[in-house]
Amino acid sequence: MARQMPLRELAWARSGDKGDISNIGVMAKTPAAYEILKRHLTAAVVKAHFTGIVKGEVVRYDLDNLHSLEFVMRNALGGGATRTLMMDQTGKAFGPNLLRLVLNVED
Amino acid sequence: MKSIRVGCGSASWGDMLDPAVELAERGEVQYIGFDHLAELTMSILQRMKQKDPSRGYIPDLVPWMKRLLPVAREKGIRMLTNAGGANVEAAGEAVAQVARGLGHTGLKLGLVFGDDVLARIPAFRAQGLKFQNLDTGEEDIDRIADRIVSANAYIGSEGQIQALAEGASVVITGRATDSSVHIAPMVHEFGWATDDWDLMGAAIAIGHIIECSSGCAGGMSNFWKDIKEPWRVAFPIAEVYENGDAVITKPDGSGRMVTEMTVKEHLVYEVHDPTRYIMADGISDFSKCQLSTLGPDRIKVTGFTGTKRPDTLKLCLGYEDGWIGESEISVCWPDAYEKAQFCEKFLRGRFAALQLPITEMRVDFIGLNSIHGPLAALPKDLEDINEVRVRVAVRTTSKENANLVRREVTHLWTHGPVGTTAVISPPPPRQVISLWPTLVPRELVPQTLVMKEVR
Repeated sequence: MARQMPLRELAWARSGDKGDISNIGVMAKTPAAYEILKRHLTAAVVKAHFTGIVKGEVVRYDLDNLHSLEFVMRNALGGGATRTLMMDQTGKAFGPNLLRLVLNVED
Repeated sequence: MKSIRVGCGSASWGDMLDPAVELAERGEVQYIGFDHLAELTMSILQRMKQKDPSRGYIPDLVPWMKRLLPVAREKGIRMLTNAGGANVEAAGEAVAQVARGLGHTGLKLGLVFGDDVLARIPAFRAQGLKFQNLDTGEEDIDRIADRIVSANAYIGSEGQIQALAEGASVVITGRATDSSVHIAPMVHEFGWATDDWDLMGAAIAIGHIIECSSGCAGGMSNFWKDIKEPWRVAFPIAEVYENGDAVITKPDGSGRMVTEMTVKEHLVYEVHDPTRYIMADGISDFSKCQLSTLGPDRIKVTGFTGTKRPDTLKLCLGYEDGWIGESEISVCWPDAYEKAQFCEKFLRGRFAALQLPITEMRVDFIGLNSIHGPLAALPKDLEDINEVRVRVAVRTTSKENANLVRREVTHLWTHGPVGTTAVISPPPPRQVISLWPTLVPRELVPQTLVMKEVR
């Protein structure tokens, strides 16, 4: 049976920028939550979530030691902080925006 | 085991001064490193220098040194900063002048040069060097070559290490990496070999943890609700041990907090592949590190490793890329959302009628979707919302065109829906400096150190 799990109940997130790349560090709240994130919070899920904002590829790196996942999203900031028309020029609010995601978790 | 305490006194141009003073006065640190540069900063500073050859460094440097030099002298603290920006020489002169004013004759300054390669770009190209854009893949800079305003390589800590060895109390450099100002004291004090890649990996990671000032101590934090006195900001200290371990902490009695989670928040911040965090001084691997709590606001970090530094340095070219005009105006209840849509229609229609050459345009409804964009669902009681602030931003070809955007928004005041108000003063048109991230062979960017004694 599939359950709906809001990401914000499973993780914290902080985001930053390098040029036109946004990155989000997602930190699991518990070791169990980390296992759920590893299975369900894939790069494809994150890319789909950011439809209309992130134009480029999304890559995920796993940090088992920190129970954290790192997402690197290209072509994400309207050309980067110095040229973007976005108000969130450096993508600081991308982390909270990711936490809007609701995961479909199979039991 | 030998240890030193290195504090972080700044994360950017315009950061807070008081916590840096607190670090110096009560942090029991031997070194304070200051990062003042962001990606855009070098272009702004290069511009300042072009207009006035005595400028081009971070202006904060002067008031900061006025406050910090007396404390640093009393406590024997050495300071390292990249506030030299586009004009290390002038920054050195400015600091010397402050020191003279304070009666600190004999103060030794170490000025580290080498990051600024703007004047050398044509010669590099004549040698056949190409500068591929790391973001877009575009092969070379032909398209932008005549519009480049800044070219700075992200240099490592070599020159700063040498400056400390030669007795500098204040080290000033330009576009050295954020963490280099923290790495240099570790290498200097422990005599680490700069090709011991595990130790350099540790130095880079420790530098990274503290380099954003309060970023590892409750700033930008998910745990903001735990902060009872928001106005008391604390800057972090890395108590670094000879074996490459460290304890991340903050001055006793200071505000905010350092916890495993606040340190973790910064460990995952602006890092791409965590097994290959590439810096000029080496490549750090965060994938085996461990955090543990030794006591209140004392977090031990261990297990960083590293690999050989890259043969290339990151080079950031800034180039002129048109203008942005932007402005805002507010609409109110009743029907605030529909009024905002009316304003958007007005602006799009007016810009079309005026044949404004628009490369890109964006309209935000502040309060509804300006930050989270299309992922922000509109509230269910849309009819009852109290107000919306309409913001328009346009990328265009000239300052005049950018100014037109402001004028048209102002027209909504008198020609828009009832109750449209609060234009305030729109930001002036800004020239866009786009960045072209690329690489340059390390051997083409040597560092030079100039020692200077205040007389």
